[in-house]
Amino acid sequence: MADPQKILDGLGGDENIIDLEPCITRLRVEVEDAAAVSEATLKAAGAIAVMQQGTVVQVIVGPEADTIAADIEDLR
Amino acid sequence: MTSPLTVLAPVSGTVIAMSDVPDPVFAAELVGPGLAIEPDAQDGSTVRSPIDGTIVKLHPHAFVVQAADGRGVLVHLGINTVQLEGEGFTLHAAEGDAVTAGQTLITWDIAAIAATERSTTCPVVALDAQADAVDRTAAVGSNAGDGTTLLTWGA
Repeated sequence: MADPQKILDGLGGDENIIDLEPCITRLRVEVEDAAAVSEATLKAAGAIAVMQQGTVVQVIVGPEADTIAADIEDLR
Repeated sequence: MTSPLTVLAPVSGTVIAMSDVPDPVFAAELVGPGLAIEPDAQDGSTVRSPIDGTIVKLHPHAFVVQAADGRGVLVHLGINTVQLEGEGFTLHAAEGDAVTAGQTLITWDIAAIAATERSTTCPVVALDAQADAVDRTAAVGSNAGDGTTLLTWGA
């Protein structure tokens, strides 16, 4: 499973996240600063893929997305 | 070597290639290979379990059924439908339930979802499967109904 703390880091940290919700296999995230998102960090954290359109980021993590999102919420 | 897993069509409708799903994650088969179904406006409203197994994830708009050997099949009802927060979907089973292939799990109001200008296409994904482990048994463009084999996994 992807590492929740590293995912959070790859998204630019708690303060950069406006909204984060899981959807079965992915995290849908709206961020403040698109440039603070690191695809390399997210992939190193265990993400299968990262799709970013401006401040909307989809982190593909597989079917454990719900658990990872809950863990990230616990870290925030 | 595991025995082949027969994945039935979870909804009735027209079989389409995963690459034609209007979502880049499913289209690129990033979470696994499979096929999608464009549901029939009337007959497509009943959503069935594609395999025998346990419901390990259940959302109004998507679910995962895991076979006894650990393989999981994801069915996603429409695209970007998480944003509907369950509106238009009725659950007939619960997370953790043991289910049989063909059992009704969800009914959904396809016309209401289409009216929100979302795609009602339903990707059916062999989660974490190797691309060559899944045989797309149903032909693209064919009609899939109750009991139609969509995928054969590990044949």
